[in-house]
Amino acid sequence: MKIIRLNSVSKFYKQSKVLDNLSLEIEEKERIVIVGPSGCGKTTLLRLIAGFTAPDTGSLFIEEDLAARDGKIIKEPQERNLGMVFQDLALWPHLSVEENIAFGLKARGVGKVERKERIKAILTLVDLIGYEKRKPFQLSGGQQQRVALARALVLEPKILLMDEPLSSLDTALNLRLRREIIGLQEKLGFTLVYVTHNEKEASDIATRLVKMDQGLTK
Amino acid sequence: MSERLFLTVIVIFLMAVGMSPLLFMLFESMSVDGHFSLNAYAEVLQTDRQWTLMRNSLTLASAVALLTTLVGVPIGILFGKTDLPFRRFFTILFVTPLLVPPYISAVSWSNFFTHAGGFSFQFLFGLPGAILVLFTVFLPVPMLLTIFFLRSIDPSLEEAGRVFASWGKVMRGITIPLIFPAIALSFMLVFILSFGELSVANFLRYDVYAMESFTQFSAFYNFKAATAAALPLVVAALLFLWVEEVFLHKRRVGSHAHFGREVQLIPLGTFRVWLFLSVAILGFTIVLLPLITLLIQSAGLSHYIDAFDRAGDSMLRTLLFGVFAATLLTFFGFFTGYLIHKRTLKIWRLADAATIFLFALPGTVIGIGLISLWNTPWTNFIYAGPAIIIFGLLAKYTALTSKISAVQLSQISPSMEEAAQVSGAGWFRTVVFIVIPLAWRGLAVAWIIGYIFSLRDTAVTMLIYPAGQDTLPIRILTLMANGSPELIASLCVIMILITLLPAALFWLILKTIIKVSP
Repeated sequence: MKIIRLNSVSKFYKQSKVLDNLSLEIEEKERIVIVGPSGCGKTTLLRLIAGFTAPDTGSLFIEEDLAARDGKIIKEPQERNLGMVFQDLALWPHLSVEENIAFGLKARGVGKVERKERIKAILTLVDLIGYEKRKPFQLSGGQQQRVALARALVLEPKILLMDEPLSSLDTALNLRLRREIIGLQEKLGFTLVYVTHNEKEASDIATRLVKMDQGLTK
Repeated sequence: MSERLFLTVIVIFLMAVGMSPLLFMLFESMSVDGHFSLNAYAEVLQTDRQWTLMRNSLTLASAVALLTTLVGVPIGILFGKTDLPFRRFFTILFVTPLLVPPYISAVSWSNFFTHAGGFSFQFLFGLPGAILVLFTVFLPVPMLLTIFFLRSIDPSLEEAGRVFASWGKVMRGITIPLIFPAIALSFMLVFILSFGELSVANFLRYDVYAMESFTQFSAFYNFKAATAAALPLVVAALLFLWVEEVFLHKRRVGSHAHFGREVQLIPLGTFRVWLFLSVAILGFTIVLLPLITLLIQSAGLSHYIDAFDRAGDSMLRTLLFGVFAATLLTFFGFFTGYLIHKRTLKIWRLADAATIFLFALPGTVIGIGLISLWNTPWTNFIYAGPAIIIFGLLAKYTALTSKISAVQLSQISPSMEEAAQVSGAGWFRTVVFIVIPLAWRGLAVAWIIGYIFSLRDTAVTMLIYPAGQDTLPIRILTLMANGSPELIASLCVIMILITLLPAALFWLILKTIIKVSP
């Protein structure tokens, strides 16, 4: 099944064309990595899939449902059943690790008992048991990365979007987390859409590589 | 409730509270027996007295704006950019006169010169005295704007210059041109505030234009003439709106993202002691001296007992109105600031412009507008109750709290909110559990500013307070006619304490919480 489909999508910012008549199909359980230089439109593409912005022209389908078309968002981000790990991680500093992860579950009305179980399971998966009560600033870079992953994955999304999530980490940690992300994707079976400008990182993670330049895929 | 609907309701409410009275007032002034007529405008604007008053106001406002900018900008640079000792203390000291009703400064100076006697007493009453008092009141405006803009400059811009130039050259060539919008904006802001201020000029017996609209309404009860007389004040407010648009929206100096990064301080070297002494002398002269005079004159328990007897009810009311108005100002300011920051609705610019316009407009004009709209048999419950005061304060000061909120929100990464959205949270949940907790420091500052400005207000409340519901600043103004100088001095001291003590206490609690939180 085509889990994401973009049909002739264009996006402008002021006078410049960030995405230029782009069409792309992403299969279920694929690990697709979008790679390209800064400013080529890869983050815009990710934000478009997430639902933070709409294509000026063209259409976007998620799980075969129309999600956005011609400047209009039809499905809001919270209705798309996807998770996202941001470049700056966007961990809420006023909430503990546990609360960060629980936020989405509460928003979706998951009961207390089930919530506890799912948080425990996901923390075990990302190896963060014992860190539940800590605030994000009390964690190392790698641990923060895992919290961001856990927060996205606890909702069991069909699609996980990752926007240069490892760019701020040192090489050793970057390599280790790459392997962990691949392992999690294989285990949980979500579709991964990963954005990076690092070609080595891209080829390590991808089952399919999409190169972008000046708003076009190659 | 969806984001767009909720924000639309907020904007409509603010428009109804602030702009509809003005439009209604304009409509009424141009209608005679159901026909369109500009007679009221022709009558008011064609008299010689109008032009004399206008000349007086322009002279006063220009002089105050020029003086405060010439002194305030260098002081702002000293406090915000150099290693001057006790600069934080000095900042607080110099801001104090802005936080209390302006006429209290006039009373303090009057008391000081009365003690000095002779020539100096005569000097105070008239243009020089009005300039002096308004200079001390509005000096913090260019000072604070300069400090604020200095902190918004990307430090790397100065660092790039420092690689091959001295601090002096970097300041002249890079920093000061970058803060030029602050200088222009503060000049215009002080001009507009001085142009619309009437309590100081009235106390010091200097006739100004802002008094005309007030007189036409309060003395002659002539709505049409009062509206016509307000027209130049509206034009001045629109001019300010244009300047704000040119200098703040189109020439943004830097990103708020630079806040929090350490500001590189200029070492003053051998000038440090001399500049410290100069600032200390200036602070003592223009802030402490009049305050000390006020304290000396009010000394004695009997004066304070008398003050509580004569105005105890007003004090309590002032506190209640202040707390209530500040809370509403924070609420509406936050959501207006959110709209301005996120630009969710196309009307964001209208909301921004309307709140700034109302802030720039003299409070008396807002007051007359509110009365003309709400003084009907059907809306008497608003006109005759505290609601009209709250409406007036909301109309006048939402610009302050919305700007503070917008600045605070601009410092929160958009991904914080986006992360909540992809987690499945709706807009309201995201705002309540993510945005507000992240923006709470800005909200607390907005509340303090809302509280202080609601308390110090006389221009709006002077016209609209319902019978038996006057606030302390208004009670002091009324008692000035027949109260003893000692009683007035005691009331002024109490007014300063009521304004500053709760705000300072709130700030101290806030600082303690900030210290223990991440």
